[in-house]
Amino acid sequence: MYRILRLLRICFYCGLLAMPACSNVSPWERGNLAKPEMAIQPNPNLHNFREHIFTAREASQGGHIGVGGGCGCN
Amino acid sequence: MALLLGNWHSVYAVEAGQIPPVCPVQMQARQTSLKLNDYKGKVVLVDFWATWCGPCQKSMPFFNSLFNELKKDGFEIVAINVDEDQETARQFLESHPVVYPTGYDPDGECPKAYEVKAMPSSYLIDKTGKVRYVHLGYRDSDQPVLREQIQALLAE
Repeated sequence: MYRILRLLRICFYCGLLAMPACSNVSPWERGNLAKPEMAIQPNPNLHNFREHIFTAREASQGGHIGVGGGCGCN
Repeated sequence: MALLLGNWHSVYAVEAGQIPPVCPVQMQARQTSLKLNDYKGKVVLVDFWATWCGPCQKSMPFFNSLFNELKKDGFEIVAINVDEDQETARQFLESHPVVYPTGYDPDGECPKAYEVKAMPSSYLIDKTGKVRYVHLGYRDSDQPVLREQIQALLAE
């Protein structure tokens, strides 16, 4: 019984490894990712303005998200 | 680890010294597939581009002027558009025309065969049909390097 449970557990972990949520998007397939609406910050000016206020109020800078929507261009 | 994450495609990109792979591209003007053998004896720049790629758009006026300047010396450019929607590319080319031929590969067969690593990617093929130089991305500061490489191959 214990052996079967152990085998099931191994199968479960192997199954987890076989279902990665990440998939490879090639550089030439990033047309949709390059659309403006796919940008992490759809309104960069507003974001910069808010970040400026946040920086002034909190006296801290950085630690925010990365830039770019991932089109893979340069 | 890469295998576990599903990244198990081939990692053998086309590099300098290799023969460019054969791949299906619908050429705009002739409605035929691209045959690089037709360009033997000429220096050919195969350029992968897309309308959604900013640096690609930026490179086109430069390639256009380079083509006009060096065509008489045996220089050819074959642009391969990889937009999933061919019509977008056609409309873009109507508003931003280029004189060199453009082919369409909406299924991405060609960039897959070349294992394109970035957009845009340019493959410079010498007179014997071998890839001699691979240029990834495009910045205005790349112009002298590209020009130098092309002129060196034309002089061979």
